[in-house]
Amino acid sequence: MSAAALELKGLRKVFFPGTANQVVALERIDLTVPQGQFVSIIGSNGSGKSTLLNATAGTFPLSAGSVELDGRDVSKLAEHVRSRCIGRVFQDPRAGTAPSMTIEENLAIALMRSRRSGLRRGVTKQRRALMCEQLGPLRMGLEERLGAEVNKLSGGQRQALSLIMATVAEPRLLLLDEHTAALDPKVAATIMELTGVIVAEKRLTTLMVTHNMELALRWGDRLIMMHGGRIVLDLDATQKKTLGVNDLIAKFHEVAGEAFAVDRLLLD
Amino acid sequence: MEAILTSGLEQGLLYCFMVLGVFITFRVLDFPDLTVDGSLPLGAAVTAALIAGGHSPLLATGAGVVAGLGAGVVTGLLHIVLKSGESDATNYGPKLLAGILTMTALYTVNLRVMGRSNTPLLNVETLFEKLAAALSIAMTNWETIAALAVLAVLVKYALDWFLHTEFGLCLQATGDNEQMIRALGTNTDFTRVIGLSLANGLVALSGSLVAQQQGFADVGMGIGTIVAGLAGVIMGEVLFGMRSISWVLFSVIGGSIVYRLLIAVSLRLGIAPTDLKLLTAALVVIALAVPTVRRKVVRA
Repeated sequence: MSAAALELKGLRKVFFPGTANQVVALERIDLTVPQGQFVSIIGSNGSGKSTLLNATAGTFPLSAGSVELDGRDVSKLAEHVRSRCIGRVFQDPRAGTAPSMTIEENLAIALMRSRRSGLRRGVTKQRRALMCEQLGPLRMGLEERLGAEVNKLSGGQRQALSLIMATVAEPRLLLLDEHTAALDPKVAATIMELTGVIVAEKRLTTLMVTHNMELALRWGDRLIMMHGGRIVLDLDATQKKTLGVNDLIAKFHEVAGEAFAVDRLLLD
Repeated sequence: MEAILTSGLEQGLLYCFMVLGVFITFRVLDFPDLTVDGSLPLGAAVTAALIAGGHSPLLATGAGVVAGLGAGVVTGLLHIVLKSGESDATNYGPKLLAGILTMTALYTVNLRVMGRSNTPLLNVETLFEKLAAALSIAMTNWETIAALAVLAVLVKYALDWFLHTEFGLCLQATGDNEQMIRALGTNTDFTRVIGLSLANGLVALSGSLVAQQQGFADVGMGIGTIVAGLAGVIMGEVLFGMRSISWVLFSVIGGSIVYRLLIAVSLRLGIAPTDLKLLTAALVVIALAVPTVRRKVVRA
């Protein structure tokens, strides 16, 4: 039996409860993701898609419900403990790397993710070889610049490095939070291709949040649409293949019953 | 002339451990830690009280350092409580308050440790005299300078090694990008506590050595430590560069020496010792303003 890699049960998150600013960001989220599945999540601003990723990663405590990784309830575990088996890439290329540290130091930290850091040397010959192996396929020449500070890299290079760092230790779950949205179109396409290759190669269970419906339709083998903190649409690979962007918008109107005009603008 | 040089070198090396500590908090951890105003006299007070009580200066110095390590832990734990779950790394409020609270509490601790506001170390054996006896040499200024230089280099390389271990890299990343390092599985509360502890241990080492060299510990000797430390860090970075962390550790030691040389020159020029704190503060303001002013001038 292929067990579920990720299981969200009755997730609920209320921000600022009991105040005038109270926001229900997530409401009754149930989601089962089998091992190796690549799920695209779309939704308008404030639909709860990023909150869903953060809830899974443990950035804040849940109001109700549970998060299970490989059948183990991790809801009560701190963010950094969960992080040992969850890889994340953020929208801002600056978020995923330490700017004033070198490429090899950043990668060394990523390589020791799954265990406690000790007093052994961080950057070793052995690890350097492994880094070159990981960076080579990017064809960005980063393997030649292991000693360079990350703040000397372009946004695209930094995001590529973030992606490598998030996946190098083979996490049980990969969370991508609009990770190509802040890049120019050409670089965004490169990073997305790279993501596809890595996810396929390592058979990573992946949740990818995006604003871009075309991206969501093209990538992944399942599509989820969120609205008002709920999952309003859940399409499998076959259903997804037959859909175009316009169908998706129509679908959205159908389920959410609201204008999607703002998001149309974001399509290009 | 030689008096200025030896005094500057000696003071610069005595205080360079404190400057290294301030470098670790300010630059590596991005934590403006005001504990140092209390942990410097803490190191001095513990060492002086123990030596005056007849204990070995080596033990007394070690105890001073351990007390400093503890002070850093207290600040780290206070910070965890004060930030109350909030993980916004750019919020300096809880960091400043944690340091201020520990610093204030340490004033009482230091008075309690010594039982009075000043403990003289006359006619007792300090670390310097013990070293002179062990090597059977006379400890003049230059011998003291050489001994301190050796210790400074040892501490520098130990820090260099530590910051490049796996844990050291996580500690550096805690100050550089906390969100990222948490997402990579590091408990940043823990790395920060260890970093603060280490830094205040170094600051206390300076306090302990200063007390033994000048022959007394005084409860007021820590006032302005943070500003003097900052002056050393900034002057080191500006004068000697910050190519890499290994290099900048040397720069910072150099900055400490240059700063104390400037103090020695100022004193020789007839500036009253009581005016030095204002002078130091002005120096830091100028050093901080230089890059901004330079940028504006270049652009204009």
